[in-house]
Amino acid sequence: MLYYIDLVFNGLVFGCTYALMAVGLTLVYGLLRILHIAHAAVYAFGAYVAVIVANDTGSISLGVTTAMAASALLGMAIYRLVYQPLLDYPPYVPMIASIGLLVFMEDGFRIAFGEQGLTFASNPYPTQLHEFLGLTVNTAQIAIIVAAAICLILLASFITRTRIGVGWRATVYLNFAIGSALAALAGALIGLLNNFVEPTMGFVVSYKALAIIVLGGLGSLRGTLIASLALGLVESYGTIFVGRFLDRDAIAFLFLIAVLLARPQGIGGMKAA
Amino acid sequence: MGRLLCFAVSITWSRLCVLMLISLAAIATTPVQAEVKIGFQAPLTGAAATDGVSARIAAEMANEKINSGGGVLGQRVELVTYDDQAKTEEAVFTANKLVGQDGVTFAVSGSYSASGRAAAPIFQKASVPFISAYGVHPDITRSGDYVFRGVHLGPPQGRAAAKFLSDNLGLKRVSIVSMDNDYGQATLEGFKSVVDQFGIKVLGEYSYSLKDRQFGSIVASVKRDSPDVIYVTGYFFTAAPLVTQLRSAGIRAPIVGSQAFDAEKLIQIAGTAIEGVYIVGGLNRDRDAPELKQYLTDFEKRAGYAGENVGASVYSAVRLMCDAITRAGTLEPAKVRDALAATRNFPHLAGELVSFNPLREINMPMNVNVVKDGKFRHYAWIDDLKLLAPPTE
Repeated sequence: MLYYIDLVFNGLVFGCTYALMAVGLTLVYGLLRILHIAHAAVYAFGAYVAVIVANDTGSISLGVTTAMAASALLGMAIYRLVYQPLLDYPPYVPMIASIGLLVFMEDGFRIAFGEQGLTFASNPYPTQLHEFLGLTVNTAQIAIIVAAAICLILLASFITRTRIGVGWRATVYLNFAIGSALAALAGALIGLLNNFVEPTMGFVVSYKALAIIVLGGLGSLRGTLIASLALGLVESYGTIFVGRFLDRDAIAFLFLIAVLLARPQGIGGMKAA
Repeated sequence: MGRLLCFAVSITWSRLCVLMLISLAAIATTPVQAEVKIGFQAPLTGAAATDGVSARIAAEMANEKINSGGGVLGQRVELVTYDDQAKTEEAVFTANKLVGQDGVTFAVSGSYSASGRAAAPIFQKASVPFISAYGVHPDITRSGDYVFRGVHLGPPQGRAAAKFLSDNLGLKRVSIVSMDNDYGQATLEGFKSVVDQFGIKVLGEYSYSLKDRQFGSIVASVKRDSPDVIYVTGYFFTAAPLVTQLRSAGIRAPIVGSQAFDAEKLIQIAGTAIEGVYIVGGLNRDRDAPELKQYLTDFEKRAGYAGENVGASVYSAVRLMCDAITRAGTLEPAKVRDALAATRNFPHLAGELVSFNPLREINMPMNVNVVKDGKFRHYAWIDDLKLLAPPTE
């Protein structure tokens, strides 16, 4: 029994990272109808800033907050420099630009910081253990769940309260800033959990987060959240029970296909008129 | 008119003279010495770039060492290097380029199984003697009689691991976590083929993909198994998070890892969590061999990080190819192939390469390392060459 709870807990950890990533994609898609694939590079960028600042200053929390701030700026810059000039073109044009940016940034990380990746010089979080209802969990895992919960609750209340009165242009920048800061938080926390920041770390979450926003009903925040957590759980159980035959990504995409067959508009999407 | 013609002719003549002088000068400044070209493939970009870059540095070191010793058969050795990104399609493309465009007559792969396996048939077809320095998929050497392998195959590595945890550690109840690629599965196959022979009981078997860094559900399952020992196949970038996460869940059982754990970065990422982990097939850095010591010092100087298995295998493969050319006494590929096949007691950086078997697989003892005080230290040799015998077909 405890074992199954342990799997649920691990599913939640997976799901919370996906949620932090996918929220930004949903915000961007909801407003601009752009599949912001380079969001994955923002995630890796956040992890790099966190590890570099933390190693320079000796403060992990300073590293994480700097990462969020820097990534918010990066997100806005990406909108201004890459997407805004392309808004008049069909949606696949900004998407191709986005893919190009992801590849460019991944190789940029490799050239700037080495192909071996970086590690935190002093990182107690993954090895600080807590006994909790018979489960052994570490601080990094708890941080991921708590951070995701706090950020997403704040975001939800913020969005409902400020929906009216904010101009279109400001909203676009705000969405990029918030989404990018959350992606950076996810990247930094995963970097801490693994004690490893590598150039390609955004790649896997990039296509998974895309699957999640489709699953969530493209543009629906509520749907995205449910989809993230559901996918985390499916992967957690799937790795153990069908992992002998299918790898984790295959499980995730089978789940995506199955849900879309049953509910083509996604979990949170409106029925097509 | 006649004067004009004369003038034109004299201009053309003087130009011709200048041209001839230039070409003579060019010929004079080109070294007369011919070059032996060795094609080299490694994943210099992409997910496997860490190993690819180590591989390239090691290959260049071997190349320089050979040239500073006078080259082979009095000729300089030149490496022609291509990035194969550890992808099959890139490996095929660059192998064709090496054979067709660059006209190399010898080749070494410093890349992973999948790309080595894709490139091997191309070199075989062109009768280019080819050594896969550390690619472990069985099919590589099955491509034909020009294809050699400079590292233990997956199945012998797995068999050695089984012997090690059963005989050296005396632990028999095991959980297995393996990587679902060629390397992980081939090694696992070997391990499982001898579990009965060693009386090992497998409590649970889990697999993950190269891209995974989050192993929560596997860790939970290993915890439920409560094994005496955990056998893990993987690369350092999967192994470090995995081992950390196993330890973070309070699992204290010894961990026996596979050859590709053997990179300094493993210790850097996993920190104290990696202490006490055994690595079957790791490079024995404590061995008293001057060339190895020199290699480790030079590699660290050039790369900025300590030398490991991948580099040592690639260095040895390039050296072995040149050794075979020297022994053959000719650049004729067929003769060099025969010389490679006849290799005896070659000083590989990982130990003594006793010989190649009929399938051009190495017969060689295997080292086991343990991580102690943040360093890879020699722990044991598995020298039962019968158990380690590579397949012959």
